[in-house]
Amino acid sequence: MKEDALLILLVFVVWAALALIYALVPSLGMPGYVRVWGAGAALFLGLAGLLTAVRR
Amino acid sequence: MSDTMPSLTDRIAALPGCDKTLARVLFGSALLALLLGLGFGWLTALGRAGVTGFEPLLAARLLTLHGVTVFFYWLYLAQAALLLVLAGAEQNCGGLALRPLAWVGCVLMLAGFAVSEISSIIGTPLLYDGGPALGRDDPAAVGWFSLGYLLLGAGLAVSSVSVIATVLSRPNSGTSEPLSAVGFALFAWAGFLIVSAIASVNAFLPSVLWALGLGAFPANQPTEWHILFHNLHYLPLMATVVVWYVLVQALTGVSSMHGSRFSKIVFASYLLFVPPTSLYHMFLEPNLAEGVRVVGSLLSLFVAVPTVMAFLIIVSSLEAHGRSHSSSGGFSWVRALPWKNPVMSAIACSALNLALGMTFAFVLIQEKVAPLLSDTFFVPGYFHFFAVGTVSLSFLAAMMVVLPALTGTLPWRPSLLNRMPALISVGLLIFGAAGIAAGFVGVPRRTFDISYGGDAPALWHTLMSAVGIGGTVFAIGLTVLVIGVARSLFQKIGDVTNQQPEVSWGNTPARASAAAWVGPLGVLVMVLAMAVFTVVAFELMNALPLIVIGGSGGHSH
Repeated sequence: MKEDALLILLVFVVWAALALIYALVPSLGMPGYVRVWGAGAALFLGLAGLLTAVRR
Repeated sequence: MSDTMPSLTDRIAALPGCDKTLARVLFGSALLALLLGLGFGWLTALGRAGVTGFEPLLAARLLTLHGVTVFFYWLYLAQAALLLVLAGAEQNCGGLALRPLAWVGCVLMLAGFAVSEISSIIGTPLLYDGGPALGRDDPAAVGWFSLGYLLLGAGLAVSSVSVIATVLSRPNSGTSEPLSAVGFALFAWAGFLIVSAIASVNAFLPSVLWALGLGAFPANQPTEWHILFHNLHYLPLMATVVVWYVLVQALTGVSSMHGSRFSKIVFASYLLFVPPTSLYHMFLEPNLAEGVRVVGSLLSLFVAVPTVMAFLIIVSSLEAHGRSHSSSGGFSWVRALPWKNPVMSAIACSALNLALGMTFAFVLIQEKVAPLLSDTFFVPGYFHFFAVGTVSLSFLAAMMVVLPALTGTLPWRPSLLNRMPALISVGLLIFGAAGIAAGFVGVPRRTFDISYGGDAPALWHTLMSAVGIGGTVFAIGLTVLVIGVARSLFQKIGDVTNQQPEVSWGNTPARASAAAWVGPLGVLVMVLAMAVFTVVAFELMNALPLIVIGGSGGHSH
């Protein structure tokens, strides 16, 4: 189970990092990327938590 | 999958009746969408070939209906149906968790289907991206069209919640045992669908608000569309490799020899690569910073990594097991595969079409080439290898296994259906080769009348005639296949599950010394083809007698 949650957590890290880059570099001019990748990051963090909680 | 787990068809056959009814509604709706979209597409191909003429408004409406019906409703109703059935089968006898949500999702998706079709038929045709600029004078059309996609997205998200709950409520839930590779893939796929629903809200909610007079004109919609569009490239491919993984196991008994953990890493890599590779969709934006272009171009090289890895896992596992069961060498393991089973033929043809599609996709997404080819017929020429030849064939292959198990029917005329994947692929080859060539010589993508008052090169008409011929051939093959698959929805013959030819290579492990070089060789050939066609593209572009007067300074190119 741990491997499942870790993989989804890794997805969260990548998506959150991309959302942060788009948020912190305004010259990229793509606020939509912040919203979608950021919401996706939050979702995958929740799913990783769910995997951990359900299997505990 | 554990050794004691019943077969896929047995697990599907054991699903509760209400889950089977839901699956039949979704599969039936998906097949209806495919038939409708195919009809609209065939008319479009005839129009592009010059066989029949359409007024510009009707032509735009046909293009809109074709794109909306096939690219959205066929591909996503089918995904929802497959996800729910495979999740239910993974749960093994208990059926779907949070079942009411799955039904609510179905109702929302079908409502979206109806709204999108009606608004595309009676409103201003906006093409499948629903660009509000085309409907600036018709806000109601923009609003209804966008609402259709929002309903589809909401339905997919709600259904995905049921899938996630189902996967997590397997019989061994509550233990520390990891998910199976397929269970993990379904979990990740469902999560990805929810994110895509969020992306659809980001892209289309402002249009609905504008139509209601509650918001400003959604001038950024094209940019927001590209984020959703990027997900919509990955989702069907992820679904395709999951389907291959499941079907190869069902047909041959072979699961990954690289282990379940590695398969999960590959499935997760789809999600890992999605955001970083998204930039290439922005190459047509004139204001995109040069640095972003360079980074986007480099990152786009990774776009196919998950699909290539999944292909290698499946083919190498199959080859190693096949060689372990075959006394003779060479390609005898390939000949031993169950080629009389239409599912096997469909998977094989879809893999070949994927290689062709990927080859030309890599030509297109290069930063220097994209602006020159993106508005030409090159685009429909290559992406039908994906949309029809890879994804649709794979989904239909899955339905040929799933539907007979769901309804207890015999597959209809398997020997006839077995010929259709090859016929479809031949048609696609004609359509794709002519379309790609037409793109290279400048035939525009969405313009039906390409005579330009007689100034257009004669070659354009010849190539577009071939596009019409190829399109007709694959439309015939696809129609026969869809009708054959759909008959399993309605004809109850008895308690019979899929009895098509299969092999049982999974009972014994592959020999450690068994070679598995066909997969890597296939990837090498594809990479070489990418290089060759990239060179061809640049040479052709350089040879074009093209003079462009730039807006700032009048530079010639």
